[in-house]
Amino acid sequence: MASLRKTQPLLKIANDALVDLPAPSNISVWWNFGSLLGLCLIAQILTGLFLAMHYTADVNTAFSSVAHITRDVNYGWLIRDMHANGASFFFICVYMHIGRGLYYGSYLLKGAWNVGVILLLLVMMTAFVGYVLPWGQMSFWGATVITNLLSAVPYVGNALVQWIWGGFSVDNATLTRFFAFHFLFPFVIAGMAMVHLLFLHQTGSNNPLGLNSGGDKVPFHPYFSYKDLLGFAVLLVVLATIALFTPNLLGDPDNFTPANPLVTPPHIKPEWYFLFAYAILRSIPDKLGGVLALLASILVLLVVPFLHTCKLRGLTFRPLSQFLFWALIANVVILTWIGGMPVEDPYIIIGQLASVLYFSIFLILFPLAGWLENKVLGLT
Amino acid sequence: MASRAPVATGRLLMGFRKWYYNMAGFNKLGLMRDDTLHEDTDVVEALRRIPENQYNDRMFRLKRALDLSMKQQVLPKEQWTQFEEDVHYLTPYLKEVVQERIEKEEWMKN
Repeated sequence: MASLRKTQPLLKIANDALVDLPAPSNISVWWNFGSLLGLCLIAQILTGLFLAMHYTADVNTAFSSVAHITRDVNYGWLIRDMHANGASFFFICVYMHIGRGLYYGSYLLKGAWNVGVILLLLVMMTAFVGYVLPWGQMSFWGATVITNLLSAVPYVGNALVQWIWGGFSVDNATLTRFFAFHFLFPFVIAGMAMVHLLFLHQTGSNNPLGLNSGGDKVPFHPYFSYKDLLGFAVLLVVLATIALFTPNLLGDPDNFTPANPLVTPPHIKPEWYFLFAYAILRSIPDKLGGVLALLASILVLLVVPFLHTCKLRGLTFRPLSQFLFWALIANVVILTWIGGMPVEDPYIIIGQLASVLYFSIFLILFPLAGWLENKVLGLT
Repeated sequence: MASRAPVATGRLLMGFRKWYYNMAGFNKLGLMRDDTLHEDTDVVEALRRIPENQYNDRMFRLKRALDLSMKQQVLPKEQWTQFEEDVHYLTPYLKEVVQERIEKEEWMKN
């Protein structure tokens, strides 16, 4: 007689995803980031929900409502700090998760990969509109800079920007709708995450060797349920440490000043997780060119599966491509640094070279290295 | 002398290939080159055609490698696959499968 968890329709779904799911025996810590992203999403939804009970999305009261949360609401300071730093941890996990996908050739699971790129865009949009809500100087001016980029769209650009703003500049109409989007998008993300898992579970997970693991599967529970639980504990400890000891480490001091449309901050920059893209945007002197480069910096991920040339799956047995991968990581770190710097010498030329290298690695060097590795191993 | 130059280049090339083979590292897990091929449709079809003993040997090597990977270990040095001993057992079948696919695609074009 089959167990209830295998027969009851709802329990069966949970069972097939979390208990009896056949998993490769050798998936490493880099495979923890998927579940950690799920945890980050739940944490952000919960803390966000409690913040939403006390926040007001109006230009006259938004900033002071956040101060009210921080000072008067019971544990409001903690909820706010966990939510703000939780966003940073969300992106740490996202970048680790994508890095794993690139290194181990997981992008060959095209369904999951493409949904993943959509998820990345949704998470970025959610974080962008969320940062506007405290209505500090950086909230206002960051929104102004980025929404103005839409005016680069030919013919409809200006109309598009005013449609998004709900007026002739970033103002109350913009703030209220950004709050609505920030509340809505996480639930879209949750739905897309389920679609992401649906695609993944068609084939099962990749593994660090990139080999067919059918001969050595283990059940998800208890091996990876407990491993993921350990990952959750580590993430929560690190997040709590940052939120409790250095809550403003990753923030911008300018956001402690209420938004003032008449005073432009000297250095407008986004949060750290957007700096690499900001550097790529600023590397092109033309507005439309910069916007296209910004979009391309994320959408390039969609073409990676088609540029896979090597007969081997991941980079585990490909030393030449491994060097390129780490060069890409170092390049993104440089782009992040440049994105936080003012547009002056020598940062301009460094940013431009790093931007060229970023696209070259994806579009030229990785495919070339794969072709070379085939040749050296005698695989044609 | 002219007759020696190709041999020297050939030896150099083989030396480089052997060095790269060892750098790649799959031999430390007891794998052969053809074990590491990504299982696309051509490889899956070629695997269907290889003799049973070769398929079983392959499964053993894969399982051993996955187990070593799980334990973050490698085999003792004396058990590493040597460059000279590597057998490209799958390649003849794979060539056949690819050739058939190309012929089929050419046929379907017309």
